[in-house]
Amino acid sequence: MTTQLPPGMHLETVDDKIMTLNVGPQHPGSGHMRLIIKVDGDYIVSCDPDPGYVHRGEEKMAEYRNYIQNIPHLERPVIHDSSNILYPYCLGVEELLGIEVPERAKYIRVIAAELNRCIYILYWLAIYGIFLGHSTMFMWPAGDRELFIDLLEAMSGARVTHAYLVPGGVRNDLPSNFEERCLRQVEYFEKRLKEYEAIFYQNPLLKARTEGSGILSRTDAIRLGTTGSVLRASGVDFDVRKKEPYDVYENLDFQTIVMKEGDSYARSRIPYLEMFESCRIIKDALKKMPKSGSVRTKLKPNPKGGNDEVYRRVESGRGAIGYYIVSNNRPEPYRVKISVGSFRNLICMPYLLKGEKLGNMPAVYWGLNYWPVEADR
Amino acid sequence: MSNVIGIIRALNSGVKHLAVKRFTLRYPEQKLKFVGDGFQFNPETGVGIAGLRGRHILFHEHCTGCQLCSVACEGIAEAISMVKIHETWKHNKKAIMPQIDYGKCVFCGLCVDACPFYALYMTNDYELSSFTKSALIYTPAQLAIKPNISQDVEIKISDRGASHG
Repeated sequence: MTTQLPPGMHLETVDDKIMTLNVGPQHPGSGHMRLIIKVDGDYIVSCDPDPGYVHRGEEKMAEYRNYIQNIPHLERPVIHDSSNILYPYCLGVEELLGIEVPERAKYIRVIAAELNRCIYILYWLAIYGIFLGHSTMFMWPAGDRELFIDLLEAMSGARVTHAYLVPGGVRNDLPSNFEERCLRQVEYFEKRLKEYEAIFYQNPLLKARTEGSGILSRTDAIRLGTTGSVLRASGVDFDVRKKEPYDVYENLDFQTIVMKEGDSYARSRIPYLEMFESCRIIKDALKKMPKSGSVRTKLKPNPKGGNDEVYRRVESGRGAIGYYIVSNNRPEPYRVKISVGSFRNLICMPYLLKGEKLGNMPAVYWGLNYWPVEADR
Repeated sequence: MSNVIGIIRALNSGVKHLAVKRFTLRYPEQKLKFVGDGFQFNPETGVGIAGLRGRHILFHEHCTGCQLCSVACEGIAEAISMVKIHETWKHNKKAIMPQIDYGKCVFCGLCVDACPFYALYMTNDYELSSFTKSALIYTPAQLAIKPNISQDVEIKISDRGASHG
């Protein structure tokens, strides 16, 4: 019996050797997402990422709220990197409204952003460890993350969703003896980080699974528009903090970490090495920060932006985050477009997984620094 | 051979931690110490005072019923509603004060930033669990009570590692 299919639909021809696997859409460690993977035996023939399960309409929501009320919900896509996702929004709104930021506030924002980057990378590393079956690497970063969470809690008053950065500076000044406490905990953390090297990064089992898998060449990385650690792992020296320094990053002493291999191992190692740089930035910023002064420029109630548009971007844990904000003489923005690193890194997943073993899929997938909730906004 | 050395090195770095003190906080018995008495805001300078953003505290003698906290919460959590109170205050002619639904509140503290009369602050109280949803709605009278908290544990860092107390 042949059934008549509606126009525009067709049946897929099925090869008996090929099996289709749905990875997800349940929570595979980060947020709801699905990979439709076709396998031939143990090898992946094709991969089709299917994002969109956690779309929350952040961009549309931003059109109905004023510039200050937008703060709590715009940090929701990546709650454990909330300072970095708010950073470009604050920079953009400051440019739209013509606000000057006090010098001390700029340093405090950099410290908050770097602490938050460490929190994000440690969370990412913990999940990377458990994805590869290394449960010690889940426990250690998850425990050491507390050091930074406690610091940001003292700074902002919240453990995860800080809502600390605002257009015009930061919400409140640092508590007393924060510098001393921050320095002590960051120095201890650097010592701890060195222990990760022996147990995880020089571990032959990790190297056997990740070295040489999912290789992304330099030209492909540029052609596919990847960003952040994925781009730097393929040998491209690009960091928004260095190339387009915002706030006080140009005064601070740090390096961009670049590796040439472009495989899963390089992609897992770059965020780890970046934590050392983040610690350096925090220590340098604590030293160079003005010891007193205002931290927030007072705004008018319900500030209005002119007929203007602005695009600002910063480097987050997952690559460049850009905000394009259009205003039309109203207290609410006319349009807010968020361009995130997660979504751009997702594009190269089908290319990287082709020909890989299914067992290597978690290492490649998580090394891409893809955060479903942020990618869907 | 180098693989064997690598595995031994990895195991060794784990074994060293057998003697290290546990980092975990034993929560109901121990509680983490916070900075100050909670998040506060100075409307004159427009800058907040660092502290934990926990449950609010409402000062009836300062609250004028201006509804600015409720307006600030619109579009964020819509947790604050203004209710009638059975008190007579000269500065609060309408006799209304905020009532906060902690089932909705996201603890962003923007209501504290909005208050121009030093009437609404936040406290170190974060244990707000209850068996019913209606018990999470705090009336102005409940919000006026200063929480009784004992928090004493801090992170301690020594040569043998970090621990909570």
